[in-house]
Amino acid sequence: MVFNSFTFLIFIAVVFCVYYFVLNENTKWQNVFLLIASYFFYGWVNWKILSLLIATTVFYYILGIAIENAKEDKKKSLFCTLGIIFGVGSLIYFKYTNFLITSIASLFESLGLHTDWHTFKIILPLGISFYTFRILSYLIDLKLGKYEATKDFLAFATYVAFFPCILSGPIDRPDALIPQLKTKRLFNSDCVLDGLRQILWGLFKKMVVADNIASVTNEIWSNYNLFSGSTLLIGAFLYLFQIYADFSGYSDMAIGVGKLLGFRITINFKYPLFALNIADFWRRWHISLTSWLTDYVFMPLNIKFRNLNNLGIIFSIIITFILIGLWHGANWTFALFGLYHGLLYVPLIVSGMMIKKNRIHINILGLPVIKDFGKMLLTFLLVTFGLIIFRADSIIQFYGYIVHICSPSILSVPKVLGITNVTMLLSVVFILIMLILEWKNRDKEYGLDISSIKYSLLRYCIYFCLFILVYYFGADASSFIYFKF
Amino acid sequence: MLYNQEIMNFGRAEILAKVQEIFRDYLDDEGIVLLDSTTANDVEGWDSLTHIQLVVAAEKAFKIKFTSKEIMSWKNVGEMVDSIQSK
Repeated sequence: MVFNSFTFLIFIAVVFCVYYFVLNENTKWQNVFLLIASYFFYGWVNWKILSLLIATTVFYYILGIAIENAKEDKKKSLFCTLGIIFGVGSLIYFKYTNFLITSIASLFESLGLHTDWHTFKIILPLGISFYTFRILSYLIDLKLGKYEATKDFLAFATYVAFFPCILSGPIDRPDALIPQLKTKRLFNSDCVLDGLRQILWGLFKKMVVADNIASVTNEIWSNYNLFSGSTLLIGAFLYLFQIYADFSGYSDMAIGVGKLLGFRITINFKYPLFALNIADFWRRWHISLTSWLTDYVFMPLNIKFRNLNNLGIIFSIIITFILIGLWHGANWTFALFGLYHGLLYVPLIVSGMMIKKNRIHINILGLPVIKDFGKMLLTFLLVTFGLIIFRADSIIQFYGYIVHICSPSILSVPKVLGITNVTMLLSVVFILIMLILEWKNRDKEYGLDISSIKYSLLRYCIYFCLFILVYYFGADASSFIYFKF
Repeated sequence: MLYNQEIMNFGRAEILAKVQEIFRDYLDDEGIVLLDSTTANDVEGWDSLTHIQLVVAAEKAFKIKFTSKEIMSWKNVGEMVDSIQSK
């Protein structure tokens, strides 16, 4: 069930009404209902994967209590390690088994050894990367003594399966969400309106900006050999806007749905298109994942190698980014994508720029000064290049795409066969609308947080226009890019 | 050893003041004021990336060595100061 579908509209309307107007004032029953709704939402496409989610929840709940009750540190570590092995093991099994088989087989083949290995038919349970990370942070933090294990199974199970976030994040930490599940949630019209506004913004970014661009980028990527270098370059730029609008649009909807139910979900994007360097970009992009890996991979590595100074930081960053890349899926392109971003940090670490504050300086027109605009542009170009690796199906396809861009046809007029000029023009207009609103509201939580505009008529005009655009372009409920991760 | 003795003679307030000085120097912000309850969310520029560098700076200044577990489990400045005092 995707947020941008009619089915979800019915689902959330029913959930909202029962949650507030039938079960109002009763936190326990609200949580029971939220858990049932979350399982219904998760099992909607394939109810069989629900059993894995429930079994995993029970297992980690018991493990959490076991860590809490263990008196010796050794025992706590043992239980925690068991949980990590199980969690990472199931991720490896579902996501990487066939990748490992084919990679090792091709390594043997290249050494002249014949293998007769077969791959398996493994169905990847939706959202496994997201809920596994939620559970692992709970376990590791318990072991570190950051908080006590929750004895409330209902709150824990709802935290794991919380439907706004289960399919594609944000990856909320237990100490952020579980306490909210234990407090009273009453109907608050301001919170609900704020949620609706953020959902509208998410729908606009997903259905109007991202899906419109997708028709262009899909065409380019599926036949990249046929297009000129200039077209491929435009396609690469457009893909950055597409993936940003798609994923940040999803995150806005998830956070907005959370607000409808009275929850504060962790922020996932902080206007990464305005980043001044790569370190700044990653502080603003998919924040809940990068902060997770920073806390549980980068930090322990960096602590271990802290006496190596910059070398220790570089090593820890590169390992962390390769894992960020591979988290997206079983493909060498993702590993290369991670390595590329890790290497981009090296000059920042060596020059000390990594820890410098990144404040955008504004000129009298309210735009970034030339120097900062140049930094934004450079970051944009570096990220675009990285996304060519990310989007390619294989290293060979990435290489082919780059070779085509670097051909003399880069100087020709870009043209996408099968795509009308109107679609191209609309894509550019929608991107501009998104950029202008996000730039204007970059100190707010999301781009459509325009409550500071004094003229209510203007505010409602903007909402109405966006709603019309969503309605007009929202005929198809397309899936989200990050669902497959 | 003599230095450790010196730390033992330090009161909590003095350790906290010295940690604050390290933070101000390293993050280049004279406006930073640390309390026992201060967390990374309260100090601009104190994130996971700068955290370890601040820890290394503190280790050098106090001539001590923290364990990995200690560093990972601090919830606020107060707990960091406790660790320094316990050395």
